[in-house]
Amino acid sequence: MSNLAVLPIIIPLLAGILLAFFHNNLRISRFLSKLFILINLIVVVYVTYIVFQEGSLILETGSWVAPYGIVFVADYFSIILVLTTNLLSVACLFIAPKLVSDTKEKFYYYTFIFLLISGVSGAFLTGDLFNLFVFFEVLLMASYGLIVLGGDKVQLRESLKYVLINLFSSVIFVTTVAFLYAVVGTVNMAHIAERVQEVEQQGVLTTIAIVLFFVFGTKAALFPLYYWMPKSYVVPNPVTSALFGALLTKVGIYSIIRIFTLIFVEVEFTRNFFIVVAALSMIFGVIGALSTNDVKLLIAYNVIPSIGFILLGLAVFNETALAGSVYYLVHDMIIKTALFLLAGVITYAAGTSDLRKMGGLIHHYPVLGWILFISAFVLAGIPPFSGFIGKLLLLKGSFEGEQIVIVIIALLTSLLILYSVMKIFIHGFWGEKNEQLERKSTSGLLGPISFLLIFSIFIGVGAEFVYPYIDTIATYLLDPELYIHSVLKE
Amino acid sequence: MEFIICILAGILFATGVYNILQKQLLRIAIGTGLISHAAHLFILTMGKLKRGQPPIILEGITEYTDPLPHALILTSIVISFGVTSVVLVLAYRTVNENNTDNMEQLRGNEYE
Amino acid sequence: MIFAVLAPLLVAFFVPLVSRFKSSFHTGIFVFFVPFAIFVYFLQFIGPNFTPLKQTYNWIPSLHINFDLYLDGLSLLFVLLISGIGSLVVLYSIYYLDRSERLGQFYVYLLMFMAAMLGIVLSDNVFVLYTFWELTSISSFLLIGYWHFKERSRYGALKSMLITVFGGLSMLGGFILLSVVADTTSIQAMIAKSDYILSNDYLPLILAFILLGAFTKSAQFPFHIWLPDAMEAPTPVSAYLHSATMVKAGLYLIARFSPIFSSYEWFFIIVSIFGIITLCWGSYMAVRQTDLKAILAFSTISQLGMIMAMLGFGTNIAIFAAVFHILNHATFKGSLFMIAGIIDLQTGTRDIRKLGKLFTLLPITGTLALFGTFSMAGVPIPFLNGFYSKELFFESTLALQNGTLSITSFLTTVIPYLAVIGSIFTFVYSMYLFFGLFGRNKNNEVSLPKQPKEAPIGMLISPSILVIGVIIIGLMPNLFNQNFLAHAAASINPTAGIDAISFWHGLTPAFLMSLIVVVIGTILALTRTKWNTVYDLLPGRFSFNTIYDQSVKSIDTFSSKMTNFYMNGSLRTYMILIITTTFIVSFVYMYYTDGFTIDFSDLAKITTLEIVVVVAIVVAAIGTIFSNHNVAAILILGITGYGVAILFVLYRAPDLALTQLVIETITVTLFLLCFYHFPKLTKRNESKKTVATNLFVSIGFGVLMTMIGISALSSSWFDKISEYFIETSLPIGGGKNIVNVILVDMRGIDTLFEIAVLGLAGLAVFSLIKLRKNKGAK
Repeated sequence: MSNLAVLPIIIPLLAGILLAFFHNNLRISRFLSKLFILINLIVVVYVTYIVFQEGSLILETGSWVAPYGIVFVADYFSIILVLTTNLLSVACLFIAPKLVSDTKEKFYYYTFIFLLISGVSGAFLTGDLFNLFVFFEVLLMASYGLIVLGGDKVQLRESLKYVLINLFSSVIFVTTVAFLYAVVGTVNMAHIAERVQEVEQQGVLTTIAIVLFFVFGTKAALFPLYYWMPKSYVVPNPVTSALFGALLTKVGIYSIIRIFTLIFVEVEFTRNFFIVVAALSMIFGVIGALSTNDVKLLIAYNVIPSIGFILLGLAVFNETALAGSVYYLVHDMIIKTALFLLAGVITYAAGTSDLRKMGGLIHHYPVLGWILFISAFVLAGIPPFSGFIGKLLLLKGSFEGEQIVIVIIALLTSLLILYSVMKIFIHGFWGEKNEQLERKSTSGLLGPISFLLIFSIFIGVGAEFVYPYIDTIATYLLDPELYIHSVLKE
Repeated sequence: MEFIICILAGILFATGVYNILQKQLLRIAIGTGLISHAAHLFILTMGKLKRGQPPIILEGITEYTDPLPHALILTSIVISFGVTSVVLVLAYRTVNENNTDNMEQLRGNEYE
Repeated sequence: MIFAVLAPLLVAFFVPLVSRFKSSFHTGIFVFFVPFAIFVYFLQFIGPNFTPLKQTYNWIPSLHINFDLYLDGLSLLFVLLISGIGSLVVLYSIYYLDRSERLGQFYVYLLMFMAAMLGIVLSDNVFVLYTFWELTSISSFLLIGYWHFKERSRYGALKSMLITVFGGLSMLGGFILLSVVADTTSIQAMIAKSDYILSNDYLPLILAFILLGAFTKSAQFPFHIWLPDAMEAPTPVSAYLHSATMVKAGLYLIARFSPIFSSYEWFFIIVSIFGIITLCWGSYMAVRQTDLKAILAFSTISQLGMIMAMLGFGTNIAIFAAVFHILNHATFKGSLFMIAGIIDLQTGTRDIRKLGKLFTLLPITGTLALFGTFSMAGVPIPFLNGFYSKELFFESTLALQNGTLSITSFLTTVIPYLAVIGSIFTFVYSMYLFFGLFGRNKNNEVSLPKQPKEAPIGMLISPSILVIGVIIIGLMPNLFNQNFLAHAAASINPTAGIDAISFWHGLTPAFLMSLIVVVIGTILALTRTKWNTVYDLLPGRFSFNTIYDQSVKSIDTFSSKMTNFYMNGSLRTYMILIITTTFIVSFVYMYYTDGFTIDFSDLAKITTLEIVVVVAIVVAAIGTIFSNHNVAAILILGITGYGVAILFVLYRAPDLALTQLVIETITVTLFLLCFYHFPKLTKRNESKKTVATNLFVSIGFGVLMTMIGISALSSSWFDKISEYFIETSLPIGGGKNIVNVILVDMRGIDTLFEIAVLGLAGLAVFSLIKLRKNKGAK
């Protein structure tokens, strides 16, 4: 029992509340936001260290023993995602003062962001299904606050769709929790898992699992549930988009992985269905990315195929593929943040987000150009960058699982992803120098992005250092008993 | 009786969804209200109905209705209320800015 | 050895620094020493007693991805080509590229490429090989797009990247599958397990994957289309990447893996067919071109096809000839590209129709071109190396092994004829190239953009060295045989090789084939203008470029159409799609997993009051749909809410009932506040189809939820954890109201964050209302 597990949730919560009081003083709130996120990062690094040293940290809140009270479970999988969340939040909060307008900052921008981080961390760490719903609501409400900030026509319109669709899926979520409660009589995830396995996932349980899959799939923006996502990720300011792209959909896919490795582990039922969903997510996502000339929208569409990649590992369900999923998940959280921020900076630099109106930016912004260039290869999974290791593991796992068609689809998707992002480089950066374009200062903008990129390169080139941890997670996920035992201590 | 409430909740879901599929924003908002009610009814029913006294401890009573769903519903009601209020204000602002309450006119095709 | 691979990369870091002094010191001089040092270092391995060398440096050992460097005869041949030609190209570029160009970038890309290429040929690890493979594609992309202000450059760069990365990814698929099947990532270890691989069911797939990688990189028909467009790159790049080295990576790959596949008959069939077709098509198309570099590009395609075919044959003599021709081709084609660059710079045009009679003006260039083109044509002259390998090629086509499949015997019959046809056109375009530039058979005065004069000496050094190479190999082929080429051939096939290369071995069929080529070739070359019209028939207007352009374009338009079709911004469409998929898939699962159960045994009794309330709620819920008045609709919604509250009372949940009443009242008030000023609800004029869809979706979903609810209730297999709450509420929790104890204690975290949600909602509403006039978003 250790209180450490709750710190990554409580620190941002308190920071958010504190920052609400300083919302009108930008100097203080900027300083405090950076300070708090760094403190939180350090704490999370420490907790991660402890988890990998000593195993899962279980916190039974209020000393109510599991499965009766709410537990927080900082296991390998969740803590690594919390760590990634904080890493990319650091970049976002350091770039925010430059990329977000002062008025927006004053309207509780940092409070929303910290509550978002708190909600996301809570969703990763909680071991209670209903509590997961509550944290989903926290992060969604924070995201509602962020997405409407500014309130122009387009933004309001897209926000409304975003809110309505999420509201709907939340209602289904909470209903499904109730269904599950009726069958197994508990809401603690470890306890549910134990009981579901006891009755071998018979009867209505698989149907409930599928409904849950759709609930999380909607949040994760999987095919065919992602319609709300691309445009609503484009309308808010770039930092918000980056956090959305990196965190919100990933919480969805995290929940899917968690639920289907812990509770509904009868893979035979779901494997083929998941593979089809993964394949279609890849195809339709990348088709979407190719369909647009808008830099931000192009990046937003690219969220979908990567979720497909991550789901693929779960569908194949062997150690290699699951390791691939986790690797890809971490990689994608980082690179997506970088790309959304890049799209924001490019739009800011070029004065438009329409590729047809851009060109020759490399003469004005060489560093920006090369950062984008490298990011494109990171995203497409070209070695030695981080995407490659994840993809390699996924494809290897798929071959081991004798899933050939999906591998071919995944390879073609990678090519088209590269093409879609290269379009930004070729149309936006190459070409004649545009003499009318005024060179704007990019100081403070490229630093945070480079930070993410360096990190991303590190988890690719330094895979020897990272992979053992990921492999530990994969083996851990394959054996739900470990989780159940650590929580219920039987 | 539980099954009747299940059917009732199903009807609430159906009418809620039907309203959400409408064009006018007010109907959509009403739809979200209906499905929230449906969800709460389901939660309550899933703890089985009328299996004892209200969950307030009194001497001599051993049978109580399942208190957990009550707690969950309370949390859920409050959260729904928060979300509903955001939806309402957001809808109000959207209608004012875009000068229409017709969702079909709020498609937006800037990015094509 | 690892230093050899890394050196260019390390030096590349310093290039931008050095390029700052480019006004006084051409960056190329600094760069030159890198390939030259590598070349000299590897020269020491040449000799009759060479044995393969292996070194390992760990990178990601837990995934078996390491720098396993392996230097055998084949690698050595390529390393020397890469560093040797690399040195000459850098030397040439010093005179070719003006100091006003972005030299820093140019040399960084070039060094990147060099490192990547060395990495490919030295890696024994398939994944490291793949890493370098993609790096060559990337550096090639950057080099082709070097003058990216030109539309053609951008087009060519993208095209080459799409095609080669496509191949690269396919190759990656093959590598992963191979490594799974053979359980190793080392190529040598795979070769040792080749029997096992050959008996695997996935063999055809592996082969297809890897061949796609090789064919795209080596510009084999029909993937050759990227190469002519890659000629937009500066000429040193064309000479280096798109003739001597990168395009040979595909050949290297086939050669490297042929010990695994060579006994598989389909390997022979596919590689030979693609090779021989590429040979014929490339040389045939070369004659049609008018741009100097385009002629050379198609010529390269055809030569690559010839080598590819020989690698496919796999016989002792063919393998040796392939290796030999890789060397020869690098010498004469490299020099010809450099000559093309000289002519371009000196005359200001590359259009062969505008050129001619240059021999007197550019005598040295002309002489060099003479050797280059005649060697390329395979003219039987003892001091031209092209003839030797061409003759060995003919010899190998006549000695093909028969297989078990009928297509094999068909191929063994037709290949010699196709080889001759391809070679005839090779002869024709070689002559066309030389005499078009230097000959006197031009009908009119040529008008050139610039008055040509001989190139500066520095520019001529590199092509001269290559031409000297042509001659030395021609004069003393056996000097290279045992010391060098034999090792390379042996690493592809241990028995490959020939004892001695000789110019004359009697009136063999192969020599006769050479003679036929020269005779018919001369006739066709002289009458070229007469039969030129044949190109209107084949290929006519058909072109693989059109296919590429169309498919890239259609990918874009298709994506737009497709995406805009369903991403139409309509919430209704989105919801219908989401809900319909959810309930249909769920029903399917429910059906197949026997998900629906109903059990009436344990149910609460029904009372009249409950029924009344339930009916009231149903009526109100349906009423919301039909109400056409704002306030009425909102109030009807309120009725359902109060109805639910009454149900809460009936089901003994007093806390819930109270909360519900309060919240419902506030909600209704809020609704009224917000919607009072709204446009009035109007009567719907919906089509029947819309109504039917809406009904289908909503009823389907409602039924699903009801069915799951009933099934869930009927499968209560476990005790509820609430028993514990009831027991401990008072003793541990210290409260009599169990629900309250749960909320504030047992599930206190829920409540804490529920308050957070409310707080956030408050802030969101506040900023929604307040932040409206400040639209100054950054």
